[in-house]
Amino acid sequence: MAILVLDMLTTSLILFVVAAGLMIILGVMKLINFAHGAFLTVGGYTAMLTTDAGVSPWLSGPLALIFGFFGGLLIERFIVRPLYDRPLDAILATWGLGIVIGQLITLGFGREVQFAASPLEGTLTLGAIDYSAYRLAVSGIALAIGAGLTALLYLTRFGLNARAVIMNETLARGLGIDSARVRAFTFGLGAGLACAAGALITPLLSVDPNMGLPWLVNSFMLVLVSGVSIPSLLLASLLLGSAQVLVSTFVSPILGGMTIVVLAAAILRINPRGLSFG
Amino acid sequence: MSRRRPLRTALIGAFVALAVIAAGPFVLDTYTTNILIRAFFLAALAMTVDVLWGYTGILTFGQSAFFGIGAYACALTFTHYGFGPGWAIGALLAGMGTAMVVAALIGWLAFYHGASPLYASIITLALPIVFVQLIFAGGRFTGSSSGLSAFPTYYWAFETWFWIAGTYLVLVATVAWIFVKSDFGRLLVAIRENEDRCAYLGIPVSGVKITLMVAAGAIGAGAGFGYSAFTNVVAPELGGFLLGTELLIWTALGGRGTLLGPIFGAIGIDVTASYLTGALPFLWTLLVGIAFIVVIVFLPEGLAPIIGRRLRAAGQALNLVGAPHVSSYSVKAINPGSHASEDVEVPLRTEGLQRHYGSLKVLDGISLEARKAEILSIVGPNGAGKTTFMRCVSDGGERSGGKVFINGAEIGRFAPHRVAKLGVGRSFQNTNLFDTLTVGECLMLARFKTDGAQKFSRRESLDLPEPALAILRATELADAMTLETRNLSHGMKRGLELAMVLATEPSVLLLDEPTAGLTKAERTAIGDVLVKLANDHRLCIVLIEHDLDFVRDISSRIVVLHQGALLMQGTVEEVINSDLVKAVYAGEDAESVK
Amino acid sequence: MSIKKLSAATLLAIGAFAGSTLAEEPVKIGIPVGLSGANSVVAPSVVQSAELAAEEINAAGGILGHPIELVVADDGSGAQGAQRAFDSLVFQSEVDVLISMETSAARNAGLPIVNRGQVPYIYTSFYEGRSCSPWMYINAWVPEQQVAPIVDHFMAEYEAKTFFLIGSDYAFGRGMLEFTRTYVEANGGEILGEEYLPMDGSDWTAIISQLRSAAPDALITSTAGGAPNVTLTKQLRAAGVNIPYGNLAVDEGTAKTMGGDATGIYIAASYLTSIPSDENQDFLAAMETKFGEDLKTPNDLSVPQYEAIYAYKAAAEMAGSVEPQAIIDALDDVAVTGPRGTIQMNAQRHAPLTMYLGQVQADGSVEVISTFEDVDPGEQCPQFAG
Repeated sequence: MAILVLDMLTTSLILFVVAAGLMIILGVMKLINFAHGAFLTVGGYTAMLTTDAGVSPWLSGPLALIFGFFGGLLIERFIVRPLYDRPLDAILATWGLGIVIGQLITLGFGREVQFAASPLEGTLTLGAIDYSAYRLAVSGIALAIGAGLTALLYLTRFGLNARAVIMNETLARGLGIDSARVRAFTFGLGAGLACAAGALITPLLSVDPNMGLPWLVNSFMLVLVSGVSIPSLLLASLLLGSAQVLVSTFVSPILGGMTIVVLAAAILRINPRGLSFG
Repeated sequence: MSRRRPLRTALIGAFVALAVIAAGPFVLDTYTTNILIRAFFLAALAMTVDVLWGYTGILTFGQSAFFGIGAYACALTFTHYGFGPGWAIGALLAGMGTAMVVAALIGWLAFYHGASPLYASIITLALPIVFVQLIFAGGRFTGSSSGLSAFPTYYWAFETWFWIAGTYLVLVATVAWIFVKSDFGRLLVAIRENEDRCAYLGIPVSGVKITLMVAAGAIGAGAGFGYSAFTNVVAPELGGFLLGTELLIWTALGGRGTLLGPIFGAIGIDVTASYLTGALPFLWTLLVGIAFIVVIVFLPEGLAPIIGRRLRAAGQALNLVGAPHVSSYSVKAINPGSHASEDVEVPLRTEGLQRHYGSLKVLDGISLEARKAEILSIVGPNGAGKTTFMRCVSDGGERSGGKVFINGAEIGRFAPHRVAKLGVGRSFQNTNLFDTLTVGECLMLARFKTDGAQKFSRRESLDLPEPALAILRATELADAMTLETRNLSHGMKRGLELAMVLATEPSVLLLDEPTAGLTKAERTAIGDVLVKLANDHRLCIVLIEHDLDFVRDISSRIVVLHQGALLMQGTVEEVINSDLVKAVYAGEDAESVK
Repeated sequence: MSIKKLSAATLLAIGAFAGSTLAEEPVKIGIPVGLSGANSVVAPSVVQSAELAAEEINAAGGILGHPIELVVADDGSGAQGAQRAFDSLVFQSEVDVLISMETSAARNAGLPIVNRGQVPYIYTSFYEGRSCSPWMYINAWVPEQQVAPIVDHFMAEYEAKTFFLIGSDYAFGRGMLEFTRTYVEANGGEILGEEYLPMDGSDWTAIISQLRSAAPDALITSTAGGAPNVTLTKQLRAAGVNIPYGNLAVDEGTAKTMGGDATGIYIAASYLTSIPSDENQDFLAAMETKFGEDLKTPNDLSVPQYEAIYAYKAAAEMAGSVEPQAIIDALDDVAVTGPRGTIQMNAQRHAPLTMYLGQVQADGSVEVISTFEDVDPGEQCPQFAG
């Protein structure tokens, strides 16, 4: 029972951290970043290179964040910016970008399954039960990232500008906010978060050129259901992630894999505003 | 400008294509014949993607699932149940039927009034993923990951299959071509360009999209059935997400919204990929990915228009092709249809109308009536809730509480097109119309509610009610029927919009700042028309205006909204001279009247 | 020559006829293989072993005096790619035989084309069993041959009575575990759970929790190769699962890359690099000489490819021609001795094999625990036996 609760919590928090970068971009730029899966993969390879170079595996997350941020700035400038007026085309262009990144990784690293060292091995004893130590660590980091993002959005100048753009871009521009800059920074931040999330989950998994793809659809569903706010993304992750674990445990893991998609579609059909607050 | 032009072009094209296909197997080697058969089936599928995405603006990742459904209907039937002509026809129908049911379900999920296009796309993305999971979970019955193969099928010669696949492609392409060139095709473009506006003209947008999805699903399933019967193989990837995205790539590269572009895109890329097998296994995908990004960013129309222009120029040089077909319409007046409303004296009534956003009350208990043959002006400072009021009256899903009656009928939770059917016509503050449609086509759209749209031909004449004609005459639009609306002046756009709303023969006319941005002369002309509409045609007109002089000149009565509440209503004199109104309004006057 | 054939390949073939004697016309061996997609990890080793076989045979005078020419085509590891690859090999390159290791989906997609083109096809990958075609032979193992050694060992050595089965939801995963269930139950054991994750799934948390609460004596897994396999192993270790663990899908190379997490895993295979026979040592030395730095470690998927080319040579020599039906008739009459030992395919188109039970050591090497001679594949394609 305790294991089940921990499974639900950790699965949800992992989903949360994986979807966070996607949500930031959707909120400010009103575009679904289909390259999100590829960014996760890039994060995985960053973690692998980091640990291969003998650097502490704890640093792979921050390094991936930085790498993703600058990569994101470049992508925003050359691929996303020309498509601001065509949001559906932006989806397709980012999907094409995902293909290109995947193929470049395949050409560079091969399709072999590779590994990044885990900063924490083995299990942690919590009262009567043992639980994977790194899963617990990732959950803690996910919460910290959530808190950090909230602070960024509510306590900084960038956050104020970003929230203004989220609410009403025309008005924000009228108030002298450089919305192009906010967008560029946001895309960088979203890409960086996606890479960091990829680096974080890699020690639980393995590294291969398609590792990000299975996460893509669930992330889409979570951000569509949650709308643009960190607490509601956390809520959506907790609800749908727990549902996934419950279905996997008590019904079948195969149906569990479809739980989030089906539930999210149903929630949105009943209430188009999903689970967003206010 | 013959009426049959699109039909004739299509039939000539189809005839030529069939001749090419008949000759194909005699000049091509077995290998090429073989890959073309598969490419033809995939091209038919890509064409459905173009109708959905290129024409109607529904970005779908899920067409592959319908292909998969058709393919598995064939494989499962022949493997487990039986084989023969009866079984084959039964399996084809079962496949198409299943695809249509699934498409309807997906349509119901994805297309409701107010659904974001992103949401619809993600739903179509989920479809092939769920489909593949189900196939995997089917174990031995569906063959799981390995698929099913070597089931009994018709081992006809490659030539025969080539003709079958080619004929199927030409047939569905011809039907689709005539369809997209018809009036209904223009309706699809209108939905792509301004879905909301269509809904308020009384066009059941969701219904059209769902129907289209269902038809595309059936065509896709037919193609999948043929593919599987020919190749004698099904595998989960035939209904998978990757094929779904490849279809988009082919469509984008070929040229969306051109129908033929995606067909040639699909065939071209599939055949090239076949020839490059082994030579560039990873590089090929990389190159396609790069080409895709480049086309999306820099060449959104794809390659077909470029080639098309070359061909047309060459054709014109040789005098083979006439000028592109432009619909011109002869316009004639009709007697206004008899609305059930004839004897309803109060076409619009609201009771305690409320609209909240969280704790913010934008409308707070508005109860009012608007009568026949009167012009009711709603005034009030910015943020008073005027536009929100219009929205709540014309869209049943908008209000938080209270009731709205149109011609005596409660609108309940009706979507805008159903409210429009009750007799509400609404114009908007902004003037985005349908950029690539002509004036005539816009008016044709506006008549959809009453006259429908020709699915396989184009109308040559338009029957418009007298009030709409009056506007056309007043704004010189009558001579501009073949002009695309993006080329109109602001005044003409306003006029066209009003004419479109009037063409729907509303009994309640909701006008949101109809004179904004117009010259004094234009304003006077519009005012005269409105007065005439109220007096001669006994229309109930509700108007939002900032221009108080204009309001004073034409209104029968005035309603004043302030901070979401009804401040007062009365005759023009009563309101204009009211101290209360002066106090409230004058304070904000400078800010609100621009 | 009908006007139908205008392809470049045909023109070349005409040129070949005109300009050379018949004796030099090559025997074309088509190799559709997953150069891209899921199999791209193992495909290079398969191509390398085919290249070695072709070089050796050509150096020794070819097949019936004709040199071997290999035609490799990428099948993308999937059905659509396989259709392209088989079409191009059968109808464009017009190969004499197809010999290859592929996914089951690719094999199934290719079979109708093989049947239409009437080309002999030797399938060299282990698989879930019972795929039958008049034109196909298979020289690799099926569940009947692989599962028994592991289950027998767990029951004898660890007195295991209860088993838990975990797999990826695909034909091989389900096929292997279904057979395992039957075998365990027939031998008095009990299955406590049989759980699958979608093929691209990599989060095994819920299943591992079920495994832990079921507390079985032993665990047997059969996942898709690559990521699902290694993520399952890692997550099992991270969750502290340390019961006897038999993995039906892991190979030597993957075990080595997994490092410490793989230690103690049992595997069963028809080929391990540590087989001490002279044939294997000579084969490994020849591979090393030919490919040097670029050598991909030979494995249970690439060695059958090498042997199958020799089997084709033997069949052609017995039949005295490369005529397709004659090859098919001869293939079950020839025995070939290679790195895996002496192998002769049977009338049911499958091969009795010597199987090795191995255990992964801390340094990543695989130690052979025991050897099972001539394990029979059982009833695979009885329709061809009579």
